[in-house]
Amino acid sequence: MTPGSALFIVSAVLCLAGAVTTVVSRSPVRAAMGLLGTILGIALLFLKLRAEFLSAIQLIVYAGAVVVLFVFVIMLLGTDAGSEPESEARSKIAPPLAGGMFLAFATALFGLLGGAIKTPTAFTVPSPDHGTIEAVGTEMFQNTLVPFELTTALLIVAVVGAIAVGRGRQGQKPNQRVIKNPQDFYVGPVMERDNVSQPEPKESV
Amino acid sequence: MIDLFIALSPLLTVGFGGLLLMLAEALGKPANNTGMSPDGAVVVDAGAGRSEELGLLATVILFSGAASSMGVWLADPATLGVELVSPWLQVDRYSLFFSFILCISGGLCTLLGGGYLEEHKIDRGEFFTLVVFSTVGAIALGFAGDLLTVFVALETMSLGVYCMIGLRRSSPRAGEAALKYFLLGSFAAAIMMFGAALLYAATGHTDLAGIGAFVGGLGGEASGETAMVIVGMLLMLIGMAFKISAVPFHMWAPDAYEGAPTPTTSFMAAAVKTAAFAVLLRILLIAFGDPRLMSWGAGWPPVMACLSVLSMTIANVIAGRQSSVKRMLAYSSISHAGYLLMGVCAAMRLPEEASASVMFYLAGYCISTIGAFGALILCGSRGKEAVSYADLAGIGRRHPAAAAAFALFVISLAGMPPTAGFFGKLYVFRATIDAELYSLAIIGLLNSIVGAYYYMKVLVFMYMREPIPGAPIAIPMRSSMVVSALIIAAALVVAIGVLPGALLEMAAVAAAALS
Amino acid sequence: MLPGSVVEHYLALSGAIFTLGAMGFLMRRNVLIQLMSIELMLNAVNLLLVSYNRVHAGNMTGQVFAFFVIAVAAAEAAVGLAIVLSYFRIRGTVQSDEADSLRH
Repeated sequence: MTPGSALFIVSAVLCLAGAVTTVVSRSPVRAAMGLLGTILGIALLFLKLRAEFLSAIQLIVYAGAVVVLFVFVIMLLGTDAGSEPESEARSKIAPPLAGGMFLAFATALFGLLGGAIKTPTAFTVPSPDHGTIEAVGTEMFQNTLVPFELTTALLIVAVVGAIAVGRGRQGQKPNQRVIKNPQDFYVGPVMERDNVSQPEPKESV
Repeated sequence: MIDLFIALSPLLTVGFGGLLLMLAEALGKPANNTGMSPDGAVVVDAGAGRSEELGLLATVILFSGAASSMGVWLADPATLGVELVSPWLQVDRYSLFFSFILCISGGLCTLLGGGYLEEHKIDRGEFFTLVVFSTVGAIALGFAGDLLTVFVALETMSLGVYCMIGLRRSSPRAGEAALKYFLLGSFAAAIMMFGAALLYAATGHTDLAGIGAFVGGLGGEASGETAMVIVGMLLMLIGMAFKISAVPFHMWAPDAYEGAPTPTTSFMAAAVKTAAFAVLLRILLIAFGDPRLMSWGAGWPPVMACLSVLSMTIANVIAGRQSSVKRMLAYSSISHAGYLLMGVCAAMRLPEEASASVMFYLAGYCISTIGAFGALILCGSRGKEAVSYADLAGIGRRHPAAAAAFALFVISLAGMPPTAGFFGKLYVFRATIDAELYSLAIIGLLNSIVGAYYYMKVLVFMYMREPIPGAPIAIPMRSSMVVSALIIAAALVVAIGVLPGALLEMAAVAAAALS
Repeated sequence: MLPGSVVEHYLALSGAIFTLGAMGFLMRRNVLIQLMSIELMLNAVNLLLVSYNRVHAGNMTGQVFAFFVIAVAAAEAAVGLAIVLSYFRIRGTVQSDEADSLRH
């Protein structure tokens, strides 16, 4: 067992444990911590794979921004907003059915892959600057300049859109309006299906 | 270098136009900077009360994008030094054809938005910025020749659309629609990205041509690479089926279409679908154009054929049972994806003829569907929206012009002469028959007959029914912008229907650039 | 064959994370957790790209691709959380199966 293999095993376990935590935990905070575990595990694997720059980016962007954003939103909604018991699910069959079908599908696909791969591919010895900031930067600003510029449009859309959708109204406290009945907010002729009684939404905060 | 900027001018015009629009929105003087929303909250929004001018500016930007696509088409993009941006962006007549359609669709949607937003008090200037930048993403998707650009462009387009749906913040329907569309859309994108990563893993390439060359060089025996290519392709196709909302990946479509503000719905039905088909055709024909992957044995045609048959049949059956016209149009757009996929299947034997027919169909479909949603907007004013068939009763007598426009677009969607929809269907069926896919063609034909039923129901309600006494009556809105959008769309539908030859020739030239 | 010495181990790990993420998305009804599941799937994509960049080591395509995936994921998370927030303001819940006022 070399140190490299030990690192792989530790990070793989961290990744899988994190992923399982995210998927099964009741509380969104705990799920976010699971996600954080997976992200850290993958950052470790990036180090082993000679992707030092990406490993740093992974930590800064994912652990530092995305997970924090999640936690922030969870706090904004109130910690217990998301952790309602899931047993209320309208349809008890559909989610496990969908999950089971996907599991079968994924098993078939990866089984096909595993069966077809007869000789494992060993890693080649990379050039010394593989994965350094310099190498990634050169690739990004010389060869990949066009998609890089295109991300400006992506980020503009994301910023404008997130503000347009997420901004609360002025003069209105957050969570002030909990609509009991969608009918109240629906302009236009009322259709039959609007009269279906809605379940009482949870009173928040 | 200057040549290159000319070649990329469709993208640059719309992109910089979008920045200009944001400036105009931020710096312009608000006509009405405070107001009361229906629930009594004070609204202070940038761009409030100016949706007409902003909408007009956005329309001008998008139509000039269309004009510059046409200009580059005429100037022959191959001579403009476009290999500098290749393979990230493939500037050829195929992509220019799509950028033209996308700009026209986007422009018609902003025209509709200019009328609709004001009428329905969603006075939000951001709508136009989002439409313009989503169109940038859609155009880039048409141009994309590398998986990396495909993803960045796809996400640019999709993120804009998610936000356009959720703009009406006080409406639970819009919130739900945005949430559902966002969740399933990003799930699909993640699946697609995993497929792309597998393709990279197998081939070492992310550009479509490189993947195609590698796939062509694979030996016949089952190796790890072959399996990875096939799994990757399958995952990519699943992701794309979500984007074109083909059955069984259509779950999000009807809800999102119904809950979104109608101009957004028309953008989703027209531009998003067109861009997705543009990239689907390019990926299938360039990256998976190898004869072994185009066979009925182990390739994409059987997958596409299944999606096509399911989309046509299931969507038509459900559409016939809707009581909401907007929801019916949503299902109809799913069934149109089915007809289009039929043409995509035919591309396995006849790449050029079939792609040309799909492109023609998309042009006609886009304009007709935007027109139909626009007519639906016109038929109802605030508080008196026309949503169900019953609301349309008697419109033909009370408001003949709105009804006539609606009738024209519905006839085109049903595929009856002398409209664009008829020739689109004709060419797609012809390509399918030429490719010897007879059973697929017969199923398609039966479906378009079934489909005609619910389209005709609109005409019956408009012209032959009277509103039930006492029921709320939909009162048409007055908006010069919506009317002008409908006039442009109607003119195009009739023009394509009367003179289909010119557009078909262009589509054929464009399709030839693909291979 | 030591763990982590061949690229197939990374493929298997990435496939496992991807499958877990997808199942979480399909089986959970809490929107926030569904969003996190999507992030898990994107992380699996990154791992696959970076590990195969060591096989196709002639250029840095895989790592640069992963960089873009990170950018896309961050933008998507921002927009997604904004939509969740606006949905929560109206409905007071983050359970996606409560979202059914559009269904017949």
